[in-house]
Amino acid sequence: MEMTDKTCVERCRDGHPDDFSLLVERYQKPLFAYVARRLGDPLEAEEAVQESFVRAFVSLKALRKPESFHSWLVGIAARILKEQFRSDQRRQRDQQFADLVLEPKPAGPSGIFLEEAIAALPETYRQVILLRYYEGLSCQELATRLEMPLGTVTKTLSRAYALLRQELRSRDCAEVPCNFKSSL
Amino acid sequence: MNCAECRDNLVAWAEGCLAPEDSRQCQAHLEHCAGCSAEFAVIQRLQQELTASGRLGTQVSVVDSVMRRVRQEPRKHERSSVMSRIVTRWGFGLGAAAGATAVVILLLLAVPRTQGRASEIMARSARAMAKLSSVHLKGLLRTTPGDNFSAIMPDQPFTTVELWKQFTPLKWRAEKTGRIAVMDGQSSVLFIKPDFALKGPASSSAFDTQWLHQMADLSETLTWELSAIKAHGWPVTLSQGSGPDGKAKSTITVEAQSGLSDGDYLQNKFFTTANTRRVYVFDDESELLESVKVYLVGAPDDGLIFDLSRIDYNQAIDPGVFQLQLPANVSWEQPMQVLPDNQKYASMTPEQAARTFLEACSREDWVEAGKFQTITESFKQDRGGLQLISIGKSFTSALSLISGARFVPYEVKYKDGNVVKWNLSLKKDEATGRWYVDGGI
Repeated sequence: MEMTDKTCVERCRDGHPDDFSLLVERYQKPLFAYVARRLGDPLEAEEAVQESFVRAFVSLKALRKPESFHSWLVGIAARILKEQFRSDQRRQRDQQFADLVLEPKPAGPSGIFLEEAIAALPETYRQVILLRYYEGLSCQELATRLEMPLGTVTKTLSRAYALLRQELRSRDCAEVPCNFKSSL
Repeated sequence: MNCAECRDNLVAWAEGCLAPEDSRQCQAHLEHCAGCSAEFAVIQRLQQELTASGRLGTQVSVVDSVMRRVRQEPRKHERSSVMSRIVTRWGFGLGAAAGATAVVILLLLAVPRTQGRASEIMARSARAMAKLSSVHLKGLLRTTPGDNFSAIMPDQPFTTVELWKQFTPLKWRAEKTGRIAVMDGQSSVLFIKPDFALKGPASSSAFDTQWLHQMADLSETLTWELSAIKAHGWPVTLSQGSGPDGKAKSTITVEAQSGLSDGDYLQNKFFTTANTRRVYVFDDESELLESVKVYLVGAPDDGLIFDLSRIDYNQAIDPGVFQLQLPANVSWEQPMQVLPDNQKYASMTPEQAARTFLEACSREDWVEAGKFQTITESFKQDRGGLQLISIGKSFTSALSLISGARFVPYEVKYKDGNVVKWNLSLKKDEATGRWYVDGGI
């Protein structure tokens, strides 16, 4: 029985700001992975993750669809990365990478859009992916945690993969071939 | 095993979750089917990417640092010291087991095993309550009859508060002496006696009735209570014994705080901003919630502010309950419009807006006052001709960061000679950029 994102957001808005920590706990890992892939530096990535959460908290009242908190959060992180690259001196040394972030395009097998695609999943499937890969739960542990039969867990995981592949395909850009996504 | 069966089982096979015979058949099929092998390779690739991302994520732990910064944000943004900490604390107390015999305190204060046992009882009850068709709650709350549904006033006498909730199709009605809120499946309407009403979309809770709905829909309540207990390490007490009826009962206590600092203006003013100890008593046989008592920590006497002793489950509710009869002279809330001289009002400070509004009430200029809130006949009678004595400097609550509310202290003398010192709550309307009165008068 996990509190949904919608409930967490509404609870924060209704005077329980400490419940924001539940959202931080839930999404810090995928967000860090998303940011760290782009920045390469774990310390900078951690700062960007912190900043993303703080900005999200400050702007919570502007979030129109609380159930979309995760994808909204990833959008905030993307904006922070853009700001960072615009102001960063490294931009001159690594213009190509900066361009990639300023105008996001698929990045091949490293799956630069993977965390964005996860954020776009419906909550049920996102939850399974997060618990399986970011919390390291086995399918059997997932079944216990989610009070589901094991078969339902693997079916849900299977459906989550299918949706992820679909989402990644939809983000494909014709001008930049992507071996990984073309194989999906 | 054919291709369709194999693909259905690919993920289970990759996860090692297939029965030995199915696993053998799946493997045999993959060895001679290029199409399914290719599909499996794609899944494996995706799994590798996910594993790599997950591994990267394990390097981070920012909960404490983010929450520290979150707690400091109001100071940075509001230049106010109102928010010194944000800690939420709820309580389920032992008091409702009054009369219970042979109460055995099993475990006290934040012992993981207690949380586990409490979680089991809550989860069991949530499942039992999820099967209900209707709930009727009737309780006593210390508040003023006409005030907000969630307003708490420990120095006031008890007022009856009721909630009728039908789950399929969802309809509800919340009522106290001065207010009625009804959701009839199409829309939500709040009637504030004697002559003001506002309407919104159909909602599972609205008009500050959320705390009541949480008691009626424990599956939702307990979900967030359990998550919060786990996240914040709140102390939990679980006691079990027999009640006055001789049946086994479980009582769960969680000590907590409101989430606001002691000096915060909204501290202890509403259910959601109060330091409370809540008492939930469950009947072990039916697994249903039997009673709730809520105590305000630090309040006079025993601090009892809410006593929910009547809960009716699955009783047919008269359809008329979900129909709201309004008086003919009711004034509906008017949406804010962009005014020809909108900028004049949009550029006002909270103090200027409060003064403009109160002075308009003073000279009974209802067109001007109506730029800040919907004006009803009863408001004109009660507030018209007031004498403005003073306006103070505006301040915020820690919650202003989210709600945007500013509070302006004022002192007025009404026509009946009554002198009132209070705080006008103002918020900015997003569409027009103008302040509107959200309460406090």
